[in-house]
Amino acid sequence: MSEPLHFMMGNFKAFIPEDRLYSRRHLWLQEVSGGLYRVGLTAYSVRLLQDVYFLEWSVDPGTQVRDRQEIGEVESSKAISSMYPPCAGEVVRFNPQLLQDPSGINADNYGSGWLYEFRPAETLLQPAEYIEVLEAGWENTQRTIKGQMNE
Amino acid sequence: MAGARVTVVISQAQGRNPVKRQLEEDIATALIAEPGVDVSLVPHLYDMSQDHTGYLFLRSVPGNLIVLSWLYERATRWTLDRAGVRGQVGTTVLKSADDELDEDADDDNEKESSGSDGIGSLNVPDRRLYCIDLRVSESASVYLNEIRRIVNENSVQVVDLMSWIGGSPKQEQLERYLQPERMLEARRALDSGTANHQDKVSLPEDTGRRWYPVIDYSRCTNCMECIDFCLFGVYGVDQLDRILVEQQDNCKKGCPACSRVCPANAIIFPQHKTPAIAGAEGEVGGVKIDLSQLFGGDTGESAVELAVKERDAELILAGRHAVGMSVGVRQAHREEIDQLIEDLDALDF
Repeated sequence: MSEPLHFMMGNFKAFIPEDRLYSRRHLWLQEVSGGLYRVGLTAYSVRLLQDVYFLEWSVDPGTQVRDRQEIGEVESSKAISSMYPPCAGEVVRFNPQLLQDPSGINADNYGSGWLYEFRPAETLLQPAEYIEVLEAGWENTQRTIKGQMNE
Repeated sequence: MAGARVTVVISQAQGRNPVKRQLEEDIATALIAEPGVDVSLVPHLYDMSQDHTGYLFLRSVPGNLIVLSWLYERATRWTLDRAGVRGQVGTTVLKSADDELDEDADDDNEKESSGSDGIGSLNVPDRRLYCIDLRVSESASVYLNEIRRIVNENSVQVVDLMSWIGGSPKQEQLERYLQPERMLEARRALDSGTANHQDKVSLPEDTGRRWYPVIDYSRCTNCMECIDFCLFGVYGVDQLDRILVEQQDNCKKGCPACSRVCPANAIIFPQHKTPAIAGAEGEVGGVKIDLSQLFGGDTGESAVELAVKERDAELILAGRHAVGMSVGVRQAHREEIDQLIEDLDALDF
């Protein structure tokens, strides 16, 4: 049996399950019913964030959002970030469990730690295409992180 | 009877982040027992409406005032200014980890706009207003030491709190701000889901998230670029023809376009992720890494291009037509603006 699809972040293996689609915003999308997808953070993004202790959404369920629109905020032991949708589409509902306790993201990012349900209005990436995005962006990612460290 | 008192007001974080809540509580609890200090908690400054009791309270504080909030100092100062809470700039030594070292004594009481071309604020009373960013340190003692330093450098006689609030028609509503211990208790009850009616009365009215520009009048030159650029009617002018944020609720949530075209970088969106837009002085922000660029915030566009795109997107969402560069963009200024924003962006890293 060959090893599951993954991307090496230094020594860390970020697994990329092949039972779903991806966005270049480092989110996975898995269809739950016709055109409705569950969205979550990929192993790659969780690795960068590490322990998430704060998650907040700034749009209401049912909102049509555009690509790159800020829809929320996440804070972890190591980082902060705005949250963006995978692409243009509709944010249908948020995972109520995470609103209570966002650490579910770390516990099971590909499962019960999903972020929200979403109706994408654009084409998504296949797992292999997402890996290509990661490969192409890895240098830049490291630069971004190092560039922000004070030493 | 009154001593040289300083009022400390803690503007609470949005949401209920336990780490932030704890820091607020640690500072407030220590200050309740501190001589020479009155402490209060109010909701997040940016989210309170002008007639919120938290602002009624703030406007009624007569003496020197220290405001701690989860915002850059400039954002705090000008958000307060907008709500009519003003004072001479009090210099705090708590700025960023880098320049915390020495320089306190001499630059005691600097001029309002320190040599800039800004039109300045109006009707600034003769008292000091200190704004402190709660993101500077995670340790309550750092803030407590700075507050003690400020208390020591001020010896203005002011009346005690009860006597100046007495007589106001809103007395009962303001009462809660004079009982920080009770408010903290009620807040704990709220967070643990056990709040009763009494707890709810002890807490300020709820505030929702808001989004609107705040003008820094120490930088604003009244050039009117923002009023020309914004097509949603957010800006207006007062009787003295000074620019002001007139219809803040016309502002489009998340859109910072006008601040990008402001040649003086005088427009602050306190909740924006980019420090230069959120009111940073140019000092390095928090110690945490901002991953927004990786998660979708990255763009290779110039500030004006970005502003025009943001504005077009909002126009289309509002059912109107995109206008691109054709409206409200002064060609001559473009390069200059881009350079300014680039310089500011460069400071973040």
